[in-house]
Amino acid sequence: MELKNKKWTEAEFNKVREEVLTHWPTGKDVDLQEAAQFLKGIPEHKNFAAKLRKAKQEGITLAQPRAGVALVDEHIKLLQHLQNEGEADFLPCTIDSYTRQNRYNECQVGIEESIKTNRSMLNGFPAVNHGVHNCRKVLAAVETPLQARHGTPDSRLLAEIIHAGGWTSNEGGGISYNIPYAKSVSVERSLLDWQYCDRLAGLYEEMGIEINREPFGPLTGTLVPPSMSNAVAIIEGLLAAEQGVKSLTLGYGQCGNLVQDVAAIRSLIELSEEYFKTYGYKVDLTTVFHQWMGGFPADESKAFGVISWGAATAALAGATKVIVKTPHEAVGIPTMEANAQGIKATKQTLNLLKGQRLQMSKELELEIKLIKAETKCILDKVLELGKGDFAIGTVKAFEAGVIDVPFAPSKYNVGKMLPARDNNGAVRYLEFGNIPMTKEIKDFNKQLLEERAKSEGRQVSFQMVVDDIYAVGKGTLVGKPEK
Amino acid sequence: MKNNIVLGVIGADCHAVGNRILDYAFTEAGFEVINIGVLSSQEDFINAAIETNARAILVSSLYGHGEIDCRGLREKCEEAGLKDILLYAGGNLVVGKQDWESVEKRFKDMGFNRVYAPGTTPQMGIRDLKEDLKIV
Repeated sequence: MELKNKKWTEAEFNKVREEVLTHWPTGKDVDLQEAAQFLKGIPEHKNFAAKLRKAKQEGITLAQPRAGVALVDEHIKLLQHLQNEGEADFLPCTIDSYTRQNRYNECQVGIEESIKTNRSMLNGFPAVNHGVHNCRKVLAAVETPLQARHGTPDSRLLAEIIHAGGWTSNEGGGISYNIPYAKSVSVERSLLDWQYCDRLAGLYEEMGIEINREPFGPLTGTLVPPSMSNAVAIIEGLLAAEQGVKSLTLGYGQCGNLVQDVAAIRSLIELSEEYFKTYGYKVDLTTVFHQWMGGFPADESKAFGVISWGAATAALAGATKVIVKTPHEAVGIPTMEANAQGIKATKQTLNLLKGQRLQMSKELELEIKLIKAETKCILDKVLELGKGDFAIGTVKAFEAGVIDVPFAPSKYNVGKMLPARDNNGAVRYLEFGNIPMTKEIKDFNKQLLEERAKSEGRQVSFQMVVDDIYAVGKGTLVGKPEK
Repeated sequence: MKNNIVLGVIGADCHAVGNRILDYAFTEAGFEVINIGVLSSQEDFINAAIETNARAILVSSLYGHGEIDCRGLREKCEEAGLKDILLYAGGNLVVGKQDWESVEKRFKDMGFNRVYAPGTTPQMGIRDLKEDLKIV
């Protein structure tokens, strides 16, 4: 199939679908009509799109953890704990890394070993191996909506199984679940595979079932300048809307400077709504703010400081949802107790800040203007490269380095761009690579970084970037040179 | 003799940031780094080590499946004729917060020469590698 930003026809979809459902034996249990009937019977409080819409109307921020283990009963136990003890508003099913690479045979080994050793040998819930029936079992055991969270370039079978299983949201996108998560999957391939996932959500919408879609905002989670992640989020939003997605949650990962983070969320909303209007899409838009995605302090009390700062920023920015970190972040996958603690710290902060927003100021206004201008530079070029088609333009933009994600593993990402923090901790462009921006924007970024370099008595260099990557783990936002 | 080392992230793991930093730090320290990147199989590590006559293989794993992914690497190295090659592993090697000593022992039993806990600086690995390779 040739990639273009155009809604798939029924024949195109069905032809691919027939093959997708054969990728693993559990695929044969997916029946779209039966699944639609099942989804219609799910109460509203367990529908992701409905709960998000309500939160947006009320102007509140809801909290969601990440969590998933290898076995069904253990996974249910984990989710119930996060719901009852952690008071999570939304529950996730984080999918294991073998499933993300479509290595279902290795999942089977992980499942069997987990039973044998009585501890989870997988870092998530292998939903494809467990199948539709078990996904429904998980939904029946909880009282919040469920979402699959993963990092899968080809999520087609996974999407089929989780939606038929009653999970009403799927995270990911053709850029955001490829470039940060894979080495050798072409952008064209993953855009096509995610058009499939979006079209599936669109089909359910046409049958009267609301399915939420959430492109993954933070990308590599490592010093991604807001304009780069916003450009990707807007593209993925537009591609999803074309396939019929109606409930869309665009995301952003905390950088750490309050004004920049608030500006990032506000400019994301304003600019994406502008684009949806231009292209005639009617979308119910919400936002998700990810608490700090980089390295964490190992000390748990210090980690709570980072968690609460993220929660505060999400509330002050007015994000609809916040994704929660845990005090075990520095050492890997948390216990369910630690995970619940992260949600509780978050919710306490959210409750205290309920109704408060960061007031407009000269600094905030400037930052919003800057992020929008940078984002427009990228998006205009993508559209130009695609001769008016965002899907084709995206493929070409990666080839040309017009979209360039820092620290991405993918060989389809040019990797010439380098970010670093300015003196106030806001993330700026140190090297633009081939990203097309005006001279004014380039000079402004450069000026801010030179100010920092001067105050630290060193040159602007890669060592600055390395210091920034370790900084939060060591207790500061900006990485200062070692004395 | 050039000090070639193979660096990579094993299994279905795509954590790329630490990999870039290790590459930078070991190169700065004078090693010739053959970086095979993320999502690398045991065979990828071994082939790269044979091709470049490497003296050490540095395996990273951040996502918790390290225990499954690293099993048998030592035996496969021996089968491939890499008899005395140094094997280092580091990162978040297992699922969850487990007692570090037992994790270290499990990996040493698998044939790894050095095993590093989360949060280890590149400098520690560089110091150990220089010691193990008798580089002054």
